[in-house]
Amino acid sequence: MSGLRSIYAIAINTFREAVRDKVLYAFILFAIVVTLAGLLLGSLSVSQNVRILEDIGTFTISTIGGVIAIFIGTNLVYKELDKRTIYLIFTKPIFRWQFIVGKFLGLALCILIVTAMMGASLMLVSYLNGERNMVAMVESLGLTYLELLLVIAMATFFSTFSTPLMSVIFTLGLWLCGHLGQSLLALSKMSQDSSVKPLFEAVYYALPDLAKLTQIKFDLMSPLPHFAASSLITITAYVFAYIVLLLSFATFITERREFS
Amino acid sequence: MTERVIEATGLIKDHFSNFLRKPSRALHGINFSVDKGEVFGLLGPNGAGKTTTQKLLLGLLRPTEGSVTVLGHPAGHQKTLARIGFLPENPYFYSHLTADEFLDFFGNLFNVPDAALKQRSKQLLELVSLSDSGSKPIRKFSKGMLQRLGIAQALINDPDLIFLDEPNSGLDPVGRRDIRQIIMGLKQQGKTIFLNSHLLADVNELCDRIMILHRGRCVAEGAVKEISSSGNYRDLEQYFMEAVEKAETAYQEGTSTSKLESVTSAKEVT
Repeated sequence: MSGLRSIYAIAINTFREAVRDKVLYAFILFAIVVTLAGLLLGSLSVSQNVRILEDIGTFTISTIGGVIAIFIGTNLVYKELDKRTIYLIFTKPIFRWQFIVGKFLGLALCILIVTAMMGASLMLVSYLNGERNMVAMVESLGLTYLELLLVIAMATFFSTFSTPLMSVIFTLGLWLCGHLGQSLLALSKMSQDSSVKPLFEAVYYALPDLAKLTQIKFDLMSPLPHFAASSLITITAYVFAYIVLLLSFATFITERREFS
Repeated sequence: MTERVIEATGLIKDHFSNFLRKPSRALHGINFSVDKGEVFGLLGPNGAGKTTTQKLLLGLLRPTEGSVTVLGHPAGHQKTLARIGFLPENPYFYSHLTADEFLDFFGNLFNVPDAALKQRSKQLLELVSLSDSGSKPIRKFSKGMLQRLGIAQALINDPDLIFLDEPNSGLDPVGRRDIRQIIMGLKQQGKTIFLNSHLLADVNELCDRIMILHRGRCVAEGAVKEISSSGNYRDLEQYFMEAVEKAETAYQEGTSTSKLESVTSAKEVT
């Protein structure tokens, strides 16, 4: 129980730091402006205006959430090192994994609130425009949040050993490459060279397959009945496994690190 | 029989700036111990290895060679950390928190029960004269207030062993006097204190024993009372300067330094 209390304390401290940071409000304001612009664009469309509105809205939530996750996440551990508050933390009876998990959960809570706020606005506007499949929308927003959790884990991992700027580049790179996973698999299947094929496959399995997640989101919102509920469970388990792996690596690095 | 709180044996620490460069040796096999209830002062010029020694005792660094035992466990052990308090030099605290939230945060890391934590925080803010500033954001605190809050933070778990790194750094005379009185109070309570300071007047007043480091080597150690009463030195400052200058001369000449085991042998340093 004491372990959970330490994680809770670190998570709440991280959450407080994020919500009391003025940068976050700038992002939220920007998100509202972009969402409103998207809604305006959607309402101008003659047909399928709800679908366009939802696509733009979900894309905005994913992008803005991702930007917040990257910019705050890449500073999570680095800032503690830079400001030397880490000396105060690691001279208390807590394990390094508790610190990493606490940091991750604190930012995850912050992103959950931001996603929920933006998602609720999108759902309201969609409902007013005739959308009635709210369950699918909630599931789609849930998958968007799942992807953002993965981005937070990536940013946390990179922030344990690189500067914020490099962490931003690495996280953005991994996030974007994750969306190209299916293309890598297709390339591997098309490849005639037997030596290149395993390389493509190895890279595909090493990267998070976010293209699959995007496909499931698309299927969820599609009127065509080709969506299988089991794929929702599989992708959730897959993303959580990837998050656990990244946080384990982050813990491993932090445990070996000395604080001179 | 006195209980040994800190025991460092053959402590060597090498720092690696990168993989290609030769490591630089920060500590060259130092040995020392601190007993329960003692106020132990670690002195030395800048770069002598004081902070490295303290970080090894706190488990923030790992020794290259040698061993460190703190409160009966290896340095950095969870059971040890639960019983120590630490005030770093020039501490930066979470400026987004209020003083109350700050103490709550650290109390929770020590798993202090909620009711006890509330009471303890209140007592500590009173002790460091910050009772009226509990709900004030830390970013509005002056240097002196930050230092006092740092002391409160270091005492939140009612520790048996307290590490204070330059506790009087940047304080005005009144602030220094207040911190000195707090340390005296802790000493009277029987707490063991490991003090890292440049202010020799404070060390003279507060410490039972001192150790002087120079370029990672122990060049002098002794009981403060014996230094004062030996008649060989005008004050602690003279003792310190003599030890450091002799060690530096020996270093420049490439001869070995013989450690001052006691005050009476202080004049024999080469």
